[in-house]
This record gives sequence, structure tokens and C-alpha cells, in this order.
Amino acid sequence: MESNLVSYVLQDSGILIEAALVLYVAWTSQWKGQGAVAFYLSSLLVAQLTRACVLHEYGLTSLRYYYAYWSTDFLLVISAFVAMCLFFRRACLREEKMWRLIRLSLVLLFVLVAAISGVSLSLNRHDFFTYFIVGFNQNLYFTCLVLNTLLYLLLQHIDSTDDQLGLLVCGVGIQFAGPAATLALVHLTTGGRYAKLLAYLSMPLCTLGMLLVWAYVIVYVPKTASGLARRDVPLLAVPARELEL
Amino acid sequence: MIPATFVLILSAALFFFYLHVICQKILRRQFDREYFESIVNANRLEFPSLRKSLEELGAPVDYPRLRMMLKCDFLALTYLLKNAANVNQRYSNEEQLLILYCRWQFLSLAVRRLLKVGEKKAILRVTSVLQYFANVVGQRVNTVRFGNLTAADYLLNL
Repeated sequence: MESNLVSYVLQDSGILIEAALVLYVAWTSQWKGQGAVAFYLSSLLVAQLTRACVLHEYGLTSLRYYYAYWSTDFLLVISAFVAMCLFFRRACLREEKMWRLIRLSLVLLFVLVAAISGVSLSLNRHDFFTYFIVGFNQNLYFTCLVLNTLLYLLLQHIDSTDDQLGLLVCGVGIQFAGPAATLALVHLTTGGRYAKLLAYLSMPLCTLGMLLVWAYVIVYVPKTASGLARRDVPLLAVPARELEL
Repeated sequence: MIPATFVLILSAALFFFYLHVICQKILRRQFDREYFESIVNANRLEFPSLRKSLEELGAPVDYPRLRMMLKCDFLALTYLLKNAANVNQRYSNEEQLLILYCRWQFLSLAVRRLLKVGEKKAILRVTSVLQYFANVVGQRVNTVRFGNLTAADYLLNL
């Protein structure tokens, strides 16, 4: 009961921060510069509001809540994947050749995850939600965690000066890694009570952690040139007189 | 069983790694000048000399004394963070995260001491957090003025 209360408080705080951040991004006209952030935050907001409404209307054990939960989870993992693609694009803004390769790899990866999840659906056609949506969500979720790590390594490799992107990626890492670890623990302890409690709390807590990191990035960290590597020579300012000539 | 163990180890490691990177990125924030010096002098903090001796001289470490020095500096700076020129009288979110990080590094220092590996690294991380705290306090104090003097100058002239 207490863990439920804590979880609800964390979720509601998350919704408030998401709404505040979406409003802040809109207010400061950062939609273009922070497209991936705005997109994922909006998806989170829509998903959590839908869940809260259905939960309030039909209760935790209702079938409608079950469908609403997994449908919105599907929306969230797809949004997370799209946000990861947008982050990769931002990282490779000046590396067109690399971006073409990465874009192809991302498409192939998505098709592969869908195909793997489709295999389990073909074996159990009677329950689309349990065998496809849940499986697909789990697979794509873990794929996003791996992709996020690869993106972090890529940023180190190209020595990116985009400090905002570095922190955004770390925020996403917390959001993905925490719940993945606790869910694996639940699986290993075959649904142990404390592991379940930890998993129940870790999801909203990690989302809250990511939102706080993102809020810090959007509000405090100045935007630097995207895709510009530290090794790149900065462009020299041309004197006004030369321009006139 | 094996995939779940693999996911658990990998995810937990990544979780702590990302937390560490976030803290390091916050610590890399540039201040417009070295505010920490006036705070260090006014409060007789010892972490800069400790860091200097470690970086330049590689002096042998007297662990109990070193831990005590760092703890004292940490307590003094966290007190100042909360109370010196802080209108809200509370820590910001990033300060809370860094306080947790600093405590984690103290724990890590104790473990590294037991295992006798990489103590210097943990000490340098603690000193970088302390320097950040001193910079934040110095920057805040610098905005408060006593007559013609900033609070930092006032403290230096005591």
C-alpha cells in the first residue's frame, strides 16, 4: 500500500515535470533545437495521462487498464527508438557518410526486433498483446539501452563538443538501465517480494531522474554547435571591413 | 538464467556509469573566475593543498588524516552551500546529486584503501567535488556586497 502511494507520488511528480518541461521548451521556442527531447517528453506526457485516466476510471485490475498500459508502453518504446534516431542524427550532423551507415543500421535493427517478436506471435496467435506487444516492447527497450551506450561511445569517438547531447544521453541511460536491471533481478529471484517492490519503485524513480537531468540540460546547459568535434578547428571571425570589400 | 544475469550485470553497471558521467559533466561546469580560492582561504580548507601534493609530488598518503581532512572540508562546504548567501536555505537538485556522489566516493575510497587499488583517483574525485562546491559558494557570496567590498573580499580581509 505504502509502495503504491510512493509510486503514485513519483508518477505524478513526473507528469508535472514533463508538462513543465514541454511548456518551457514551447515558451523558449526550442522545438527545433530540442526536437527529440520535445517529442519524447510529449509522448511520455500523453502516455502517463492516458494511464492515469484509465486507472482512475476502471481500476488497476481491469482489462481496459491492462490494454491501455501496454498500448501506451508500445507508444513509449517506439518514441524512445525515434528519439534515439534523432540523437544519432544530431551527433552525426557533420558526418554525413557515417549518418548514412547508421541510418541503415537503425532501420535494419528495428526490422530485426519486429521480426524476432513476430516469431513469438506466430507461435501463439491467440494472444496478440501478451506475445507480440509485450515481447516487442521488451526487445526494443533493451535495444534502446544498447543503442544509447553505442551513441555515448560514438560521442566520445568523435570528441563531440555538444555538451547538451552528452547529458541528454546520460539521462536516457538512467531511464533505460535502472528498470532493466531491476526487472532482470525480479526474473532471477522468480518474483521475490523485495525485488518486485524495487522494480515497482525504480521505474518512476528512474523516469524522474531522467526528467531532472533533462530539465538541468534544457534550462542551464548552453547550446553548443551540434556535431562539432573538439578536434575541429573553430572558424575564425572575419572582420567587418573584409566583408564589405 | 544466464541472459537475465547478463542483463542485470550490464544494466546495473550502465546505470552507475551514467550517474558517474552526469556528475563528472556537472563538475566540468566553467565558472567565470576561480571563486573557490577566497572560500578556501577564509575557511582554511585543506583540499587544494592535498590535491596539489598528490598531483605534483605524489606524496605518500597518511590515510586516516587525509580522510579526516576531506571529511572536515566536505562538512564545512555543505554547511556553507546551504547557509551562505542562500536565500532558500536548501540544496539545489544538482548539489544534492553531487553530495550523494561525494559520499559514494568516500565509500569507494574506503573500499579502494582495503583493496589497495586506485586510492589517488578517488581522492582526486572528492577534491574536484569540493572545489565545485567552493566555487558555487564563492560565486553566491560574491553577489552579496558589504559597502564597497564583496563578501569574498571582506572574508579575505578579516
